[in-house]
Amino acid sequence: MTASRPTSDAPIVSVRDLQMIFPTPGGQTVALQDANLQIMPGEFISLIGPSGCGKTTLLRLMADLIQPTGGELLVNGGTPRKARENRAYGYVFQAPALMEWRNVLNNVKLPLDVMNTPKAERDSRAREMLKLVGLEKFERSYPWQLSGGMQQRVSIARALAFDPPLLFMDEPFGALDEITRENLNLELLRLWRETGKTVVFVTHSISEAVFLSTRVVVMTARPGKIEGIVDIGLPHPRSDDSREDPRFFEYATQIRELLKKGHS
Amino acid sequence: MTQGSMQIAALPVRSGFGLPLLLLSAAGLLGLSVLLAGQAAPALAWPWLLGVVALLLVGAVGIRQSAQGESRTARILPAAATLILAVLAAEAILRAYAVPTGLIPAPSKVAQSLWAARTVLLQDAYYTFVLEALLGFVVGTLAGLGLALLAVRFRILERGVLPYAALLSSVPIVALAPVVIKAAGLGWPSKTIIVAITVLFPVVINAVRGLQSAQPMHLDLMHSYAASPAQIFREVRWPSALPFIFTALRVSSTLALINAIVAEFFGTEGHGLGFRIQIEVGRFGLDIVWAAIVVASVIGISFYLFISALERFVLRRN
Amino acid sequence: MTAAPANLPRPARRPSNLLPMLGVALAALLLYWPLMLWANSGQAARSLASGADLGCTTALACATQLRNPVIPAPGQFATGFTSLSVPPLAPTSAPYNALVTGGETLLGLALASVLGLVLATLLVRSRSFERATLPWLVASQTVPIVALAPMLAVLLGQYGVQGFLPKAIIAAYIAFFPIAIGMAQGLRSPDPLQLDLMRTYRASPAQVFGLLQVPASLPYLFTSLKVAATAALVGSIVAEISTISFSGLGKMLAENSRASDTVALWVIMIYGAALGIVLVALIGGLERLVTRWRPPA
Repeated sequence: MTASRPTSDAPIVSVRDLQMIFPTPGGQTVALQDANLQIMPGEFISLIGPSGCGKTTLLRLMADLIQPTGGELLVNGGTPRKARENRAYGYVFQAPALMEWRNVLNNVKLPLDVMNTPKAERDSRAREMLKLVGLEKFERSYPWQLSGGMQQRVSIARALAFDPPLLFMDEPFGALDEITRENLNLELLRLWRETGKTVVFVTHSISEAVFLSTRVVVMTARPGKIEGIVDIGLPHPRSDDSREDPRFFEYATQIRELLKKGHS
Repeated sequence: MTQGSMQIAALPVRSGFGLPLLLLSAAGLLGLSVLLAGQAAPALAWPWLLGVVALLLVGAVGIRQSAQGESRTARILPAAATLILAVLAAEAILRAYAVPTGLIPAPSKVAQSLWAARTVLLQDAYYTFVLEALLGFVVGTLAGLGLALLAVRFRILERGVLPYAALLSSVPIVALAPVVIKAAGLGWPSKTIIVAITVLFPVVINAVRGLQSAQPMHLDLMHSYAASPAQIFREVRWPSALPFIFTALRVSSTLALINAIVAEFFGTEGHGLGFRIQIEVGRFGLDIVWAAIVVASVIGISFYLFISALERFVLRRN
Repeated sequence: MTAAPANLPRPARRPSNLLPMLGVALAALLLYWPLMLWANSGQAARSLASGADLGCTTALACATQLRNPVIPAPGQFATGFTSLSVPPLAPTSAPYNALVTGGETLLGLALASVLGLVLATLLVRSRSFERATLPWLVASQTVPIVALAPMLAVLLGQYGVQGFLPKAIIAAYIAFFPIAIGMAQGLRSPDPLQLDLMRTYRASPAQVFGLLQVPASLPYLFTSLKVAATAALVGSIVAEISTISFSGLGKMLAENSRASDTVALWVIMIYGAALGIVLVALIGGLERLVTRWRPPA
């Protein structure tokens, strides 16, 4: 597969002049100001920026976990609420947030249980997902028996279990060590190629963003806003060699400059 | 405007109705009781009951209204109102149905008896709380801390004694009380011993857990300073044990008084709140029983609050 | 990236406590003999001085012969134990009565768990309800609720509730507060992320309750059940003492206390202690069975 992925003309996520203001004891905080962004189906978009830049806020707005104070937001052709009610996205949090009383298989089955998927399908579907993340041998283990990286893979399998077109990931590998993280990055890219999902990925690691994404959305803080968008032209499929590509450093420098611009 | 911000704006307006409704409900219930006081038991009780229920519903709406928001009043008023309305409603219902005092005494009757018997009850409280509960609490705590220090110093003791302590902490004191009272006599010291024994176990278990809760990194740090064992104890082990010890003390503070009262059910020389409760139940003097329970509750809550305050004070300084 | 399941972490085994525990038990046994002689010799000396014929001449020799010793001698223990335990299911024997009391306590705990769950649900669902009642629920923990047991027993008797039930009700009444508070804590224990997760699935409130909050609260339920069990046992024994009872350890305690039969009191104490330990162990066993998903402590 190459960098030019099959995309239709209609964006799957459309952000127009989006604004989010939180009331605080001393007044109000502008978490997000005049954000504009179009995400096409099949893209891998990273949101990067320092803490307080509104990247997680933007993701939570898309997921209808919070409601905006202004602007327009369309997800999967409708309001975020509609997208949530249609179960159009899977969400992966910073922490695995597994149910510690369910074994690995049953954790992946959780969304299918909630959505009343026919019982016969649940097991086979969950096993398929576990195979996808390479954990099929651990289906009977309980979360405490897994390492942090394995737990996060279970939570990715869980997010994919009901086959949503969108995958929202909020710093999913932030708490893992560098080696595990790079392994999981490779695996995530493979999943993305195999499933054709649209991914929106929040991170604070520049190299992670460059390595994974088709486009990187650079955000800056106070007020939270989109500073610029960098197209990543590295060819797919990417491997560890992509990290040695001279263009990798160019993109990283470009993103760093944008981040600095917001800082001054 | 979104849902969230509208709710925030609406809150102060809604809570305004709370207090008037509560006052209306309380005044109504009080009024019913006063009306019922003039006459003998009414021929028909149910209309009165209906009135009480209606006023309680008004009160419930008032509580709901006053519980909105995060102000100090919104936190305290609902609880205070619940107690007051419950007492007033009980008073009205007990009067309407003319329930004999020997069965369930009306709150007003309990208050009268509390005042009338105040000397006796205070004396009982002195025996039960000061001589039995408090003294037993102090003795049990000191013994427990001593045992815990020994157990931490000598690992073999920890592995031999601690399992027994955990086991014995699930022994009901009522099984222990008769034997101790037979052995140590009917006077207050036997109850002090029982309280001390029941306080001992949670203190030992928690103190050992606490003394071992010191972070390995902190211990390594002290080690790297070539600190003496006494210094390590003072600087690392003791401070990290304090929260655990205070948890045990808080639990024990309530157990001490409760256990002193229960132990008195098994024999006294005629003093104490437990003794009072037992003989008055026997002769249907339930107003005195309730009065004794009110006294015990006030002491119990005060002692608990005192230990909690001590905990905050000590832990903040450390 | 795939490892064999054999690599799963298992906690290291701690050295067994058995030997040190046996050592302590042995030390206690060695201490028992001098302690018994010392505790009884005073009474023996007094009996001898008053001219009673105990069949022995010195206080020390008589210390093992007393009718109502402070601490029974081994022989007295053995006789008392057999006479109260054989046959085990006779209405006058301790094992039977311990079963009765244990049954009352377990029934009480079951009642209290149901009530506790209902109250905890209300507490978690309604903030007004929580603010109105939680301070009093917490305060009730510091109040000698058990002091109400004798009165409650009389009251229930007046309304014709008799036999097994009033004791179970009193046990439930005592156990119910810690269970309600523990359950409320447990229902609130899910991580905010887990709640968000359920929201992304468009889970109904009933699904959030059943799939997330209730399982998350189980460890809290068992912790509070263990605390409540001893309290409930005290409650049912006190209730047995304060009502007209025909069976139960409380009834035996009251009878032998009146008769000043100290050997019997010692035996009943041991049965009571064992009952308390067994009840807590039962709950612990049930806990391990129900919450098998938890790492071993």
